[in-house]
Amino acid sequence: MYNLRAHVLLCYGGACISSNAGSVKETMEKAIAKAGLQNEVDVVTTGCMGTCELGPIIVIYPEGVFYQKVKPEDTEEIVQEHLLKGRVVKRLFYKKPKTEEMVEMFNNIDFFKLQRKIALRNCGIINPLEIEEYIAADGYMALGKVLTEMTPQQVIEEIKKSGLRGRGGAGFPTGLKWQFTAASPGKQKYVCCNADEGDPGAFMDRSILEGDPHSVMEAMMICGYAIGADQGYIYVRAEYPLAVERLSIAIEQAKKNELLGKNILGTDFNFDIEIRMGAGAFVCGEETALMRSIEGKRGEPRPKPPYPAQKGLFECPTVLNNVETFANIPFIILNGAGDFASVGTEKSRGTKVFALAGDINNTGLIEVPIGMPLGTIIYDIGGGIPNNKKLKAVQIGGPSGGCIPADHLNVKVDYESLQELGAIMGSGGLIVMDEDTCMVDISRYFMEFIQEESCGKCTPCREGTRIMLNILERICQGKGKMEDLDTLEELSRQIKQTSLCGLGQTAPNPILATLRYFRDEYIEHIRDKKCRAGVCAELVYSPCSNECPASVNVPGYLAYTKEGNFQKALEIHLKNNPFPAVCGRVCPHQCEAKCRRNDLDSAVSIRSVKRFMADSIDGYLKCFPEKQNSNGMKVAVIGSGPSGLSNAYFLTILGYEVTVFESEAKAGGMLTYAIPSYRLPKNIVKKEIQALSLYGVKIKTNTKIGKDITIDELRKQGFKAFYVAVGAGDSIMPPIEGIDGNNRVMSGLDFLYKINNNEKIFVGQEIVVIGGGNTAIDAARTARRMGADVTIVYRRTREEMPAEIEEIKEAENEGIKIQLLQNIKSVKSNSNNKLAVEFVNMRLAEFDKSGRRRPVEIETSSFVKEVSLLILAIGQKPSLDDLFDKELVKLNRDGTICCSSHKGETMSEDIFAGGDVVTGPSTVVEAIGQAQRAAEAIDKYLSGGQEEYPWNIMDAIEVKFDPEEEPVDYERAKNILLPVEKRDSYMEVEKTWDRVTACKEADRCLRCEFKKEEEGI
Amino acid sequence: MGCPCDEKELTDKQKYKQLKEFINESKNKKGYLIPVLHMAQVIFGFLPPEVQNFVAKEMNTPVSVVTGVVTFYSYFKIFPTGRHTITICLGTACYVRGAKKIMEELEKKLGIKIGETTEDKRFSMGVQRCLGACGLAPVIMIDKDVHGRISAQKLDKILELYK
Repeated sequence: MYNLRAHVLLCYGGACISSNAGSVKETMEKAIAKAGLQNEVDVVTTGCMGTCELGPIIVIYPEGVFYQKVKPEDTEEIVQEHLLKGRVVKRLFYKKPKTEEMVEMFNNIDFFKLQRKIALRNCGIINPLEIEEYIAADGYMALGKVLTEMTPQQVIEEIKKSGLRGRGGAGFPTGLKWQFTAASPGKQKYVCCNADEGDPGAFMDRSILEGDPHSVMEAMMICGYAIGADQGYIYVRAEYPLAVERLSIAIEQAKKNELLGKNILGTDFNFDIEIRMGAGAFVCGEETALMRSIEGKRGEPRPKPPYPAQKGLFECPTVLNNVETFANIPFIILNGAGDFASVGTEKSRGTKVFALAGDINNTGLIEVPIGMPLGTIIYDIGGGIPNNKKLKAVQIGGPSGGCIPADHLNVKVDYESLQELGAIMGSGGLIVMDEDTCMVDISRYFMEFIQEESCGKCTPCREGTRIMLNILERICQGKGKMEDLDTLEELSRQIKQTSLCGLGQTAPNPILATLRYFRDEYIEHIRDKKCRAGVCAELVYSPCSNECPASVNVPGYLAYTKEGNFQKALEIHLKNNPFPAVCGRVCPHQCEAKCRRNDLDSAVSIRSVKRFMADSIDGYLKCFPEKQNSNGMKVAVIGSGPSGLSNAYFLTILGYEVTVFESEAKAGGMLTYAIPSYRLPKNIVKKEIQALSLYGVKIKTNTKIGKDITIDELRKQGFKAFYVAVGAGDSIMPPIEGIDGNNRVMSGLDFLYKINNNEKIFVGQEIVVIGGGNTAIDAARTARRMGADVTIVYRRTREEMPAEIEEIKEAENEGIKIQLLQNIKSVKSNSNNKLAVEFVNMRLAEFDKSGRRRPVEIETSSFVKEVSLLILAIGQKPSLDDLFDKELVKLNRDGTICCSSHKGETMSEDIFAGGDVVTGPSTVVEAIGQAQRAAEAIDKYLSGGQEEYPWNIMDAIEVKFDPEEEPVDYERAKNILLPVEKRDSYMEVEKTWDRVTACKEADRCLRCEFKKEEEGI
Repeated sequence: MGCPCDEKELTDKQKYKQLKEFINESKNKKGYLIPVLHMAQVIFGFLPPEVQNFVAKEMNTPVSVVTGVVTFYSYFKIFPTGRHTITICLGTACYVRGAKKIMEELEKKLGIKIGETTEDKRFSMGVQRCLGACGLAPVIMIDKDVHGRISAQKLDKILELYK
């Protein structure tokens, strides 16, 4: 026996083996031998450590240093540096997602820190292939204790006291199950372990069997002793060959050590365990089906009662527990029921193992106290969502469970709370879905699964699920009908009530949950033939166009730009969006986030190509679509922002005579009065508005509806319909003292309006802007250009800032300070003509309805700062005060107009609305998209509607494209920005590309729309 | 269960002998039909009617029962498969991470659909609802090797490993 000074623990879980842990082990051992350390350092292969994404993983003890993604060629360095010289290898440390901060020690990593391991207590710590290691970790002590110190009834009482509930999904109290079986008459009884882990997305049973097989065997023996059984069966999926192999080894070793067989530990207790392999039938996870399968029959369920406790395997009383349930038992016996029951919630004691998978940074296996908030699991342990995407839903409980939308992140994960939300704890698969997941497609996916796995014995499950699947497939293809949704609900109800076993009774759950939380997505598929996630192939032209609120044919104008045919490119763009030069500058370009080229290198710089295309043509007139024949009908648009002007434009295409009424002196709304000219020069706005005037849109400025003229008067003048697009120009002010009537306090919009209107403002030297949205950044960067020191104060963290990332970055480049987790508390004017502003530090508490953590004040953390001007940009709402009588439209609680459809119809049949006045502050392109849909509704109201509107038809792109050719291999072109030192005026910061750069960039497009055209879809 | 697949190709007679030995060894065990069928599939590669008849006779069970079990479980194959079996995981995690694209790409590359075998008998292709390697999604399994974090670009390199 040598005195070992270090242990190298290498994760040998299934995932790490797939990531080449085998070679790592080999080279590690060689490197250790080469360094002559074989008598000082031991390499231990362990079960799953949990962080599957980071594999292969090495933890070196006694220090507990954690190395991730270790490659065989790294082992030499680990041995030479860490084991020989005592210097850690930093480059292999774990890096926190987003911040990239490095973490050295195993137990300092958030992923492990918040966990509590009971069922997984040995996984990742001992070598599962050595029974000695299990025994050294107190293994088989619990068995010894029950055999020598406890009566069977005492064992049952202890389990009952612990509050342990079945971890397979249903949550039945384990102690009761044992008691019922013990009390059933019969000489022969059995203990079965359900390791037929079939729920997609769950792999905890696999990891326990592979990482700590003895704990399950020990628990089965304890159960056998408690109920009077001498035979156990472990039913494992055939898809888990490694688990079967390790279990077989464990059984052999236990037999050799006389821990299995006759007269165990010198008592008169006998017990044997046999492994039975499944054969690929999901339904065998159901208890009665599983037992039939062990009997060698078709795995069809049978009605209950009798329950397995009375008549189970081979018609004998049987306990059937899940792997994880068993893994808890030795801990309870050794540490006492009280210790176990002190973890978790009142009704759900102990811990639960979850398999984190899907769109989450730290995929893997975790064990946490029951009752932990879902948000903590996703963000603190799981590290959040990769690639800056938004969380959409968390699927929990597999095909019997449901999904929980992002606004319920505060839910405590326990049996009861999940059920209230329409999900179940299930076996613990927790699949995180981001914005790119289509909830209708996911429902279809689960139904397909159920349909394939239904054993066919009972009709509701066999036929009902087929009908449901057919309906869901139709909806995904855009062929659904509205009444399908009712049919789905009705079928769900019937299948749940009348199916024979758990599989059928829970089969509709995923569909019901998505219908409950994501009904609007179903409706979009049916009514608008739109799949917002861009998943349902039949409904998606290209990912970029699908994402664009105005549905601009992006591949179209990119292709023509590439060819140098800018006029044709512009024609395609103008059909859907009359503001290419504006959007080429201020659009948040969500299309680029969906660009398939992201998978290859990085997205096509769509916005910059658009900008070049728009700037390259002076007069748009020749590029506008041909107007349909004039129908002589007059429509009034109220508000000349992007939504109002676009609506007027779309209606002009359809042959209407449209007049836009604007209360200000200049047209353009926010484009003219809010967005600063370093971002959007005023001549650009003018150019595009002028083009619309030339096309036929009449604009009347200095005319306020409700004051200068009323809607009724306009009706009398012959206006047949109204589109209200007055925006959201009222600033929301926080309810704090000292801001009302203070001339050193201003709203962000007010500030920007005055600047854009060339009014003089005294700003002083120290300006503080409160808020984290685009208005706050615009105000701050504008103030900075006036020579002041500017600080942005935001109450949450950078990740939650609603402003565009590029804007935030540029603000900082220009020398603006951003103070996070602070808020304003009070304002006082002081003697030297400045403001004494009291700030307070904030911290993030639980998750709120927006899926973000709620900021709360840290008490006694306030401090006062002297400020020359305070700009508040915390939110905006519409101002509809004098516009029209309250009876004409209904308002929502936040002051926006309540529309009866997504096309902007309101309570009054001739009044339509769109843009920020409906959505609250949003983007230019969103406002344009709404204008399109409202134009359709107005046309339908006035003329009965058209089958297809020009902007909904994607014209064939007549640019040669060879799908077999390799895509061009150069990287995304960079934007050209004005050097920071030159940004002291309102000169535009970003420059338009030259022709070569733009055409080359356009050529990077992968033409995702191409295949579809060829197939004629 | 020893795996005889590493050895030289056995004659049919040897195969039946091997199966018979296994059946005799386990005759006293309760409900042993499924383990016997597993073994038969290891030996023969698939379970044609002749093998099912043989199992039924040796185990003293009606053929209808054997066939009933064989057709119930998706793991048992009644048609011959290729030298290597590709299993595409279509579990939820893999599905969310783009397993469908991988499946389409493989179908295109190999020119076969799910459940089919290439003409040169090199590959058979099937799907599975979760291989329990969700941490590495999307994954495929070829024979007993799990390949994780698959992308369409990686496929050629992986398929090369299996001749």
